[in-house]
Amino acid sequence: MKRRVFALALAGLMTFSMAACGNSGGSSSGGNAAAGTDEAAAEAEDKAVAGSEDAENKLVIWTLADDLKQFAEHYCEQNPDTQIETVVIAPADYLTKIQSAMRGKAKEPDIIVAEPQMLDTMYEAGYLEDLDQDPYNAQQYADNMVDYVWKAGQDADGVQRAISYQITPAAIYYRRDIAQKVFGTEDPEQIGQYFKDYKTILQTGETLKNAGYKIFASDGELGFFAGDSAWVVDGKLNVDQGRKDYMDLCIDLYQKDMTAYVASWSTTWYQGMSGPIPVIDSSTDVWNEEQMQEASESGQTTEVFAYGLPSWGVLTMRDHVGDLSGKWGVCAGPAYGFSGGTFLGINSLSEKKDLAWDFIQFVTTNEDTLDWWIETSQGDVVSWIPTIEKHKEDANEIYGGQKLYEFFLEQAEGIDYSKVTKYDKAIGDAWSAAITSIKTGEMDKETAINNFYDTVESTYPEIEVDR
Amino acid sequence: MAFRIKKSILYIALTALAVLCLFPFLLMMVNATRTGSEIVTSFTLIPGQALAENWQIVSGYFNLFKGMANSLMVAIPATLLSGYFSSLTAYALVVYKFKGNKLLSVIIVVFMMIPSQLSLLGFYDLVTMLNLVDSYIPLIVPAIAAPGIVFFLRQYCEASIQPALLEAARMDGAGEIKIFHKIILPLMSPGIATMSIGTFIGNWNNYLTPLILLNSPDKFTLPVMVASLNSSTDITANQGAIYLAVAISVIPILIVFAFCSKYIISSISAGGVKE
Repeated sequence: MKRRVFALALAGLMTFSMAACGNSGGSSSGGNAAAGTDEAAAEAEDKAVAGSEDAENKLVIWTLADDLKQFAEHYCEQNPDTQIETVVIAPADYLTKIQSAMRGKAKEPDIIVAEPQMLDTMYEAGYLEDLDQDPYNAQQYADNMVDYVWKAGQDADGVQRAISYQITPAAIYYRRDIAQKVFGTEDPEQIGQYFKDYKTILQTGETLKNAGYKIFASDGELGFFAGDSAWVVDGKLNVDQGRKDYMDLCIDLYQKDMTAYVASWSTTWYQGMSGPIPVIDSSTDVWNEEQMQEASESGQTTEVFAYGLPSWGVLTMRDHVGDLSGKWGVCAGPAYGFSGGTFLGINSLSEKKDLAWDFIQFVTTNEDTLDWWIETSQGDVVSWIPTIEKHKEDANEIYGGQKLYEFFLEQAEGIDYSKVTKYDKAIGDAWSAAITSIKTGEMDKETAINNFYDTVESTYPEIEVDR
Repeated sequence: MAFRIKKSILYIALTALAVLCLFPFLLMMVNATRTGSEIVTSFTLIPGQALAENWQIVSGYFNLFKGMANSLMVAIPATLLSGYFSSLTAYALVVYKFKGNKLLSVIIVVFMMIPSQLSLLGFYDLVTMLNLVDSYIPLIVPAIAAPGIVFFLRQYCEASIQPALLEAARMDGAGEIKIFHKIILPLMSPGIATMSIGTFIGNWNNYLTPLILLNSPDKFTLPVMVASLNSSTDITANQGAIYLAVAISVIPILIVFAFCSKYIISSISAGGVKE
């Protein structure tokens, strides 16, 4: 008997170890971090350490995006007495890694990189050095920085602790050829008018639907423009009319068949950037090329008119537009928004603060570096205003020769950072969960909104919820 | 006839299961040869052209073989240590009668149930105080204490060791340690091998602990390196490279499994036959 139990246990254990086998492939892929180019990344050789091995100064950077590797390389070319070790950590576990290291009072890394949603946690924990004091005096640069990223780098008391070299305002990316056909114009200013508020978007969607197109791949595209108010005001949950209008818009877009029912970042979503995608119904097999061919002949495919993405979407689109290169345009959305961004701060326990500060200045405020970066990244938008001004006239051929830097600067200047709270991510997710359950008919509106209130209440007991 | 039908149903079911198990592996191999953009926009079982390109991306991020060597450097000693010391403990718990034997066994079972993630922060603090951050020692040495393996080997010992053997050895004048090394260890080797596969794979795939404990990129183990491919700016760009890196990183596991599988089978079937 005992043996049989043992054999069973063994078999069970084997199953477990098999499961472990599969795990290594499943590591999360949630990193839609900042901008940069994969091509350039491929060029950057097998080097976690930039500069010569026996340089006297050594700087350690921890980051969650690979773009700083290139900056490090560039810095070391100009400062041969320095070597920089750039440790790239998977985005999903980055904060855990920083937190445990800082818990152990680590003197390295010297420079900590962060994305906006982690900044508050880092400020509160005191990981980052005060950059307002001597010898940094960061405020000398305040006037030349795009306002919202500068504000994002400040903690609750307004002390500068991190600086970003890029801006990431959101925009609507639309098909110029379709715009020409349906609206008789492809001018970004005028197309922007078709996206100026939620009501207009619904009408635009109707027009496009009648012309045989889908306005968006999914209703999630508008997520970057959702609501123009803070989620939490004076410790109270704030669900204003804008939020409710946004909810209604998403439900309408979905239920009135104006989107292609495709989830963002999914296969079909990318397909839409380069041409027709299938109309999803049960009879079409998306994976079967023959069927897809038939479907397109019998009119069962459709084309997506627009995508909503932050400025780093310029690079995402670039890699996927294929034959539609030059036929995309960029215009303003119904509200200002942003997502992502690479912020640099100095570890408050670092022993090489001067060197770290020199590097941060080099990355964020040195115009030669920024010119070089714009060249290398082919379209990343920097936060240093003089440099953007200088590149104002640069035309991007993938987007029909549009002058994107000028456009994104305008969009970034409209962002009001005071509306950003540390609760945004969690509350925003709960709100979209509510929207999803309403639009699919899983719950009625009242239940879904009540559920949303419950979620917020239980996640953040400190927030007052006024139903 | 009925037997035939039964048999063919069985075979069809088994074939279906085998396909189900192997299909993801095949897909991984195929995707390792395709570009990220191809992977996210279409699906096929025909290998693509991008193998070299993916390899370039992988080596642009890190040296895969260095990572493999690092992983082996952690996984092999940890596996050996846990196998040896666990069997030592298990043997003692089964053969020697002493006060607290039962209590110790119970404690071991209790510790088996504590998930290692829980103690991670405390463990990190300990490692910092010992000044062992960024070294392999805290990844290897704790493998000595593996309650789960002790528990299983204890069962194995109870089932496979005859007291008469020990008596004979003692009569011939062998010391206790010698008995363990010369007689017990070989007897237990199928059980140890089975456990070692689990330990090896566990260490090979271990991600969180090395991620927290290691700081220099050239000491990173394979899973930590592979995960850093996720930090690409465009999440699709590196998909092919990730598949390639994972495909290469499972090779050692396949080798270990092929090498040890006869032990697994023999130790399982050993339970089914009456001696």
